[in-house]
Amino acid sequence: MVDTFQHLLAGLTAAMSLQNLSFALIGCILGTLIGVLPGLGPAAGTAILIPLTFKLDPTGALIMLSAIYYGAMYGGTITSVLINVPGEAASVITCFDGYQMAKQGRGGTALGIAAIGSFIGGIVATIALIVVAPPLARLALSFGPPEFFALMLVGLCLITGLAGQSLLTGLVMAVLGLLIAMVGIDPVRGAPRFTLGIPSLYDGVGFIPVVMGLFGVAEILLTVEAPYREVIKTKLTSLLPSRAEWRRSLGAIARGTGIGFFLGLIPGVGAIIPTFVAYVVEKRVSKTPEKFGQGAIEGVAAPETANNAYANAAMIPLLTLGIPSSPTIAVLMGAFIINGLTPGPFLFKERPDLVWAVIASFMIGNVMLLILNLPFVGLWARLLRLPYQYVCVGTLLFCVIGAYSLQQSVFDIGVMIVFGIIGYALRKIDLPIAPLVLGLILGPFIEKSLRTSLEMSGGDFSIFFTRPLCLVLLLVAIAVLVGSLLRLPPPEVRKSSA
Amino acid sequence: MRRGRLVACVCLLGIFVLALLTSLDYSLIDALGPGPGFFPFWLSLIGAVLTVAILVETARSHSIPTGSILPSRQAALQAGGVLIALIAAAALLEPLGFRLTMLLFIAGLLLALGARSPSAIVLTALAGSFGVFHVFFYWLKVPLPIGALGL
Repeated sequence: MVDTFQHLLAGLTAAMSLQNLSFALIGCILGTLIGVLPGLGPAAGTAILIPLTFKLDPTGALIMLSAIYYGAMYGGTITSVLINVPGEAASVITCFDGYQMAKQGRGGTALGIAAIGSFIGGIVATIALIVVAPPLARLALSFGPPEFFALMLVGLCLITGLAGQSLLTGLVMAVLGLLIAMVGIDPVRGAPRFTLGIPSLYDGVGFIPVVMGLFGVAEILLTVEAPYREVIKTKLTSLLPSRAEWRRSLGAIARGTGIGFFLGLIPGVGAIIPTFVAYVVEKRVSKTPEKFGQGAIEGVAAPETANNAYANAAMIPLLTLGIPSSPTIAVLMGAFIINGLTPGPFLFKERPDLVWAVIASFMIGNVMLLILNLPFVGLWARLLRLPYQYVCVGTLLFCVIGAYSLQQSVFDIGVMIVFGIIGYALRKIDLPIAPLVLGLILGPFIEKSLRTSLEMSGGDFSIFFTRPLCLVLLLVAIAVLVGSLLRLPPPEVRKSSA
Repeated sequence: MRRGRLVACVCLLGIFVLALLTSLDYSLIDALGPGPGFFPFWLSLIGAVLTVAILVETARSHSIPTGSILPSRQAALQAGGVLIALIAAAALLEPLGFRLTMLLFIAGLLLALGARSPSAIVLTALAGSFGVFHVFFYWLKVPLPIGALGL
């Protein structure tokens, strides 16, 4: 514990340097901007802004990208409240009561309580992260390749099982992602695989162009089909809730924090589920459930708090186990890898300076976001009047820079365009993209740990069943898949009950 | 949507079968353990089996909407315009350089998407090409291409 405290202090000192504070501030502003602009979610936003960090030192780069991530989670609320269109998927539920509050002239209060709840949720989750992460990382250090293989399988199964409506489509997308990750030189034997004789593919299919295509370009193709609506005219003068509203919100914020934090620990839950669970719980415990959907302040406070608590807690599986919980976290994992770092327990051991500086920056970022969101909310709201054509062009410009500049390769822009079309088609036919992205990023690690395990055992698969922890993890993976199958009624029933 | 999903499944099946056949060309197992083809082989096989299952499920299901997923003519033209602009930008980026390519890309795309204010278009195109180049190339030290004209 003393060690943790010392590391945290050192991290805080590093994060408080003028340079890193500037990176956090720039990240928070850009993240909020991404969250505010409808159609540009956190995954796309974080991906397209990676080129900004190419020449920064890894600590600064990761502080900025993390700030972009949770800034986007904050910013999504503004569009939910003012135009009834969520800036990102996790803010969908905020539309229900936030928009109603705005229509009643209480838009400022809705945005205010969302910012305060997000701040509290984020800070509490970061403190919990500080407490939970080191022992978890120490435990993970005792893992061998078989345990890591099983652990990543659990992560992938959770994401697949929980991400989409259908387990089958989730699994197929995950397998496709894993297969795309196999393109390039085999890391163990050095043999080229699936390269079609194209030299640019010898290094594999770049994660960044793929993500920019799947999220950035696909998002724009969908946006030009359905441009977003006008902002409703509401006065944003009274940002702070009244005393009665405070009383109603405090419990909601506390419950939202708990729900968001615990669900953030489970890979694959995604940002939407915690917000829905928080909303439903709040409605259940409310003495006036009939007011939900009519502008109940708890209907904004609970999901927004859960959203941000989730965003911070979701960093725990990444930092301690190397498992990304969502596509956005996978993009962050990609950023770690670009900077020559592999997230997981070894990072805590080898680069505590970096890990703790990034964790400490979460605290600072949350304070910055509160300051940015409360007094400047009117300014963000004005950005919503930006015509969509300019947002599309700006996004595509950053996509081109991001895809090209990592390897100075026009081929990568081609990869981005192809995956943009694929992403657009997948969205149209309702096939989940998250398992594909996570399969792509986890593919090399899963293959390496599988093959190393089998080399350790001389090709004997029993190595996975004779090590107790590995066996337990594999059983968990199977349980998750079986559970997902049992949880989901057949498609016909699902549809009719929707 | 149903027809779209069936087409996607057939494409996926083609990819998995092709990958399966290709992975057989690599060594599956060798003296050191699993070879380069081991993991892709099993992935392709699992992927193919799962895709067949989705294909059957989709063909038999009555709940998947049968309506068209194709965009309206106007939306299709705009989406097509975005893709053509991106392909043209990729093709011209190195010969013309970042600044000129992006100047044309931004101005052309804004017009294609329906922006009508000439001053806003010109300002955005200049900021997005020369301005962004300056920020990335000189301040952030991100290498961006300079074309034959020195721009």
